[in-house]
Amino acid sequence: MKKMLAVVLTAALGCGLLSGCSGGSTGGGAQQAAQGGSSGGDSAAPAADPSAYEVTEPITIQWWHALEDQYSQTVSEIVEDFNNSQDLITVEATYIGSYSQTNEALVAANAAGTGLPAVTVANTPYVAEYGASGLTEDLTPYIQATGFEIDDFGKGMVDASSYGGKQVALPFLISTQIMYYNKDMADTEGITVPEKWEDMDSFLEAASIVNNGTTERFGTIIPGWDQWYFETFYLNQGVNIINEDNVSTDLGCDAAVGLVKKFREWVDKGYVNWTTMDSDASSNMRQAFIDKKAFSVVHTSSLYNTYVEKCDFEVGMAWLPGGDTKDQEIGGCVLLIPSKNDQATKNAAWQFLSYLCSKEVNMKWARETGYIPTRNSVLQTEEGVEFLKEKPAFQCIFDNLDLINPRIQHPGWNQLATIWKNYMLEMMVEDVDISTKLEDMVEEINEVLEDA
Amino acid sequence: MEKKPFLKPRTVSAVKDFVCVLPALVFLAIFTYYPICKLIQISFTDWNLLNDRWSYVGLKNWIWLFNGSGTKHLLNSLKVTILYSIGELTITLVGGLIFALIFNRMNAAFSFMRAVVFVPKYVAMSSAAVVFLWILNTDNGILNYFITSLGLPAVDWLGNRNTALLSVLLLTGWRAVGYGMMIYLSAMIGISKDYYEAAALDGATAVQRFWKITIPMLSPTTLFLFVTTFISSMKVFQSVDILTRGGPYRSTEVFVYKIYLYAMEDFRMDRASVIAIAFFVLLLAITASTFKISNSSVHYDS
Repeated sequence: MKKMLAVVLTAALGCGLLSGCSGGSTGGGAQQAAQGGSSGGDSAAPAADPSAYEVTEPITIQWWHALEDQYSQTVSEIVEDFNNSQDLITVEATYIGSYSQTNEALVAANAAGTGLPAVTVANTPYVAEYGASGLTEDLTPYIQATGFEIDDFGKGMVDASSYGGKQVALPFLISTQIMYYNKDMADTEGITVPEKWEDMDSFLEAASIVNNGTTERFGTIIPGWDQWYFETFYLNQGVNIINEDNVSTDLGCDAAVGLVKKFREWVDKGYVNWTTMDSDASSNMRQAFIDKKAFSVVHTSSLYNTYVEKCDFEVGMAWLPGGDTKDQEIGGCVLLIPSKNDQATKNAAWQFLSYLCSKEVNMKWARETGYIPTRNSVLQTEEGVEFLKEKPAFQCIFDNLDLINPRIQHPGWNQLATIWKNYMLEMMVEDVDISTKLEDMVEEINEVLEDA
Repeated sequence: MEKKPFLKPRTVSAVKDFVCVLPALVFLAIFTYYPICKLIQISFTDWNLLNDRWSYVGLKNWIWLFNGSGTKHLLNSLKVTILYSIGELTITLVGGLIFALIFNRMNAAFSFMRAVVFVPKYVAMSSAAVVFLWILNTDNGILNYFITSLGLPAVDWLGNRNTALLSVLLLTGWRAVGYGMMIYLSAMIGISKDYYEAAALDGATAVQRFWKITIPMLSPTTLFLFVTTFISSMKVFQSVDILTRGGPYRSTEVFVYKIYLYAMEDFRMDRASVIAIAFFVLLLAITASTFKISNSSVHYDS
């Protein structure tokens, strides 16, 4: 009996092994489940025939989002309005979690080929990887067929939602890095918010309160949990985070070393708080600003309403201090349609997606949150003026809209980001030799870029 | 003449036995052996989890892990995971035993206290971790409130590399110590009183009875707790994900979290798979060694 069991068990294992190894270089993993339409970048874009994208049968579709409880009322209203506006499509909105959790759910569903949403949000850094792999539907033929006014978006936003010349997503809730500051404090104490990197020394000295080596008020707080918040300082000092050869980084150059040493100097003086990466780092930073333990914080513009609601002082917003340039980068999320959906689902998804990105819906988001109006037709018209009357702090963003650029797109970007922020935090907190650490970091990043 | 059966009774019995275990074998083949085989296959490819296509890259991923930039991450995760496991084993085995000795009284008050100690085991890890986020908060946490009340400086529990792993272990300890206690208590009740009476007659002290009777007689339980706790501690993920996200700067980047980061954040399923296989082999080797060593040191009351 034992022998027989052993034989059967071995045979079962062997069969598993054989079937496990049966995939080849021409295809394995999740099977293509597309039942029609294009499959990301692999197939040719369909002709721009409007009838090919019409919804003819009643259909219920899923929308995955990462909008927390504070936005639930807005989400419900928008979905309800869409469902009531036509008879064929019923949208069910599902909160998946953070951008990271939404990514996990999407990638898992894509690999399995089942359970995919019709429409999903995705954080802007994921566009490159999703686009390169064909996870996303190429929206170009939909745009052409339905006459969607893509040109009404800013160029940076269109680029941020494209990959390889294809419109693989549409800009949805767009934000940028911003410095929130205590305007009452600035007015009372005569503190000038810096416009240039060179002004940072004097600004931090004026804005910080340090007594006997103990910081009572930080000049500013820089989030260490996401390199997005500090990468703009590098870009504006002319540092190539990824060189043109696409396989190396310039993060070890003199300018980059100078930046790290300067940040460390401010941290040592007690002027700057470089936050940790743990789960409550963001809420701690917010609380420090609300409690007036920090004059300013670097954060996303999307949290403007949250800051205004929580602070008992006037909240100012300032463009981050620039260097040779004063560019910034897009944050927030885009909307995309997974390419493995069937064509009927994709058509319904496109209708909902174009509704979500419409001017009216976008303005509702902009008014009720801190996201930026995305349409040129809003920014340059009376509506834009009205918006600024409601939220005058957004003037600094409106003044610099052309300077908001797409994120760096590279298949190894997420790996680079993880390595970079870990090393940065270590260099800000630990007593380490910065030059040596940067050499190690560059070596590690170069290896990742070469292999991506 | 008696007709000879088509199959021998032994064969019939074997077929029956096999049919009985077949569902379990099919289940194991689909959900355990097949994924393991698939994992081995992926480790020789460049699959990024997003693409439907991949190419075989030979030993490239294995070279990266054992003779490339992956080695230092492997060693770091190994160090962190082993440190964590030692911590959890200590809490569960030593803490559980101490609690079992303290709470080994059979009356209503002690029953209630045992329940209080044991209940955290059934609190969902995600909920418990969120509560611990508040407790350990640097500026507003209750733990730092008590520390600063004593005139000591506040501790950045989750943001400091020296305290981050300890913080994760605090949460683990809170949940695990009651479980260890209950397992030890049930084993203690099963030890025959005759041993203690005989030892007392021979003049053995309470300490001698503990070391010479209780500890040896608890050794099967200790082995069980050691193996199950060790395996579960090596697979720690949720508490790290919620509390520290592997930080600060990789100081809590345990094996499973590292695998998750490579697969889901970096889209490097190929690298995640080689680490997963290395981890699997390590677990297998340590568990096998434990059983081998335990053959000579575990005492069964038979």
